[in-house]
Amino acid sequence: MIEVSHLTKQFDTITAVDDIAFSIREGEIVGFLGPNGAGKTTTLRMLAGYLQPSAGSVRILGTDIDQDPIGIAGKIGYLPEQSPLYDDMTVYDYLKFIAEIRHLDAQTFRSRLEYVIDRCSLREVIGQTAGTLSKGYRQRTGLAQAILHDPRVLILDEPTSGLDPNQIMDIRQLVRELGKTKTVLLSSHILQEVQAVCDRIIIINKGRIIADAPKDELGRHLSRETILSVELEAAQPDFEEWLFLHPEASITNRTGGGERWKLEFRYPSDSDLQRDLSQYVASRRWLILGMYKQQHSLEEIFRLLTREQVPAQPEPPIQSAVSPQENEQG
Amino acid sequence: MRDILIIARKEMKSYLNSVSTYIVFVVFLLISGWFFSSLMFKAGKAELRQLFSILHVAFIFFVPALTMGMIAREKASKTIELLSTLPIRLKAIVWGKWLAAVGLLFTILLFTLVHLLTVMVFGQNLDYGALLCGYLGLLIAGAAYSAIGVFASTLQENQILAFIIAFVISFFFFVLQYIIVLIPSALSGFFQFLSFDFHLQNFLRGVIDTRDLIYFGTLIVGFLLLAEFILKLHNRRQER
Repeated sequence: MIEVSHLTKQFDTITAVDDIAFSIREGEIVGFLGPNGAGKTTTLRMLAGYLQPSAGSVRILGTDIDQDPIGIAGKIGYLPEQSPLYDDMTVYDYLKFIAEIRHLDAQTFRSRLEYVIDRCSLREVIGQTAGTLSKGYRQRTGLAQAILHDPRVLILDEPTSGLDPNQIMDIRQLVRELGKTKTVLLSSHILQEVQAVCDRIIIINKGRIIADAPKDELGRHLSRETILSVELEAAQPDFEEWLFLHPEASITNRTGGGERWKLEFRYPSDSDLQRDLSQYVASRRWLILGMYKQQHSLEEIFRLLTREQVPAQPEPPIQSAVSPQENEQG
Repeated sequence: MRDILIIARKEMKSYLNSVSTYIVFVVFLLISGWFFSSLMFKAGKAELRQLFSILHVAFIFFVPALTMGMIAREKASKTIELLSTLPIRLKAIVWGKWLAAVGLLFTILLFTLVHLLTVMVFGQNLDYGALLCGYLGLLIAGAAYSAIGVFASTLQENQILAFIIAFVISFFFFVLQYIIVLIPSALSGFFQFLSFDFHLQNFLRGVIDTRDLIYFGTLIVGFLLLAEFILKLHNRRQER
């Protein structure tokens, strides 16, 4: 469906996308996850034919996109970053213009218009000029544009950016539904988002793919380590003894002072140390004010995923550390 | 062809919906009207040649002002990314924009018929063939200026800069007739041939010469090809 090989994009001295390759089967919903500046938008722009790759090739629906760019463009729907609209055009005129360029006949346009207005909840703003739309409506108008012609392949660059939580739910629902019959590639910098929508997640950082796995597999991978935040009321909490008993655990962050401390523990998920830890704290007559498991941030995920490849990475120095530091690798 | 019309229609529509178009229209008509009436009533001349040369001068300001946003605005609002990933050729985009500019020019030329009526009332021995021919010539010259404007608009995101570039190029073709005396005589024939005025004069005399048509046609095609080339720089791999 989509086959990308050796795709590279260089801007002057910066390599935005560095020799990436992946392929997406028909009917898959694939999330392209990465922080800002990772090369997501650049990659999607190359797939859509807007940017010229420095090297490598893209095949969509079995055809090299450089062989028949117009033909391919007719079969894909593309939502660029930040949904560009013509500010002086009404939503209706805009969609009509897109339909004309895509050579939809009047009848098809009517029925598709009805569908996209309904699915993207555009009914109230259909006669409004795009310049007066809120960010959420702009985004949804852009999405309507991308699905207007019922394309087989959808490329969506941050489809939910700028939307409020309810709208995000609607769009996720819509993307999942579209994914039943179409191949969807969407980008995001939010892990929860791609986890909620996609079957497969490709993680990209600094122009390189660092993970490409089905959602569940990635989830298992990520849940191997537990991050536990503990808030304590104690004069001078000292976990030397406890850490000696539990060499698999480590303290990776320690903030606070006086009577209040916040510590971050890490340990493999298969050893459940939560209970043990609170017993230890109780035995020292400290007080636990809060204890909760933390979500992995995107940076955490990169660290976890790249750890196997780059093992010798030293931990960042920990402020006011008293206890001895275990190496993460253990 | 159909795609060109789609783009042209969209462009015309958005121009006619925009206040700035009307401002440019009004300024154009005011300036050309003022020059025309002061010439006619003060100098007592009611000549078509005057009218046409005034319109010609007004064109080198008016056309760049009209065309400056055509592609620069698409670039500024990033809609160019959308447009160049839709199943439409870059050629159709460029020609569609140009056609819209010519359409607007045609519209404004219709307004100048007021001046023409004045000339018809006060003037004598009017040659209607030459008149029609003159208007045709102006429209063709305007079409060439439009091609220059569309080309300049592809170079810039900033409309003002696009205006200046278009103005400078247009001014070059316009001013040649006046500096011809400064050019060595060996080259003067060539530069005279490059001058817009040289070719317009034939139209104003009522002569439609294929050489003039080829001259303007070449300029139009040339600048629009350049514009297409600039748009293609984004992705030279694809034959869009």
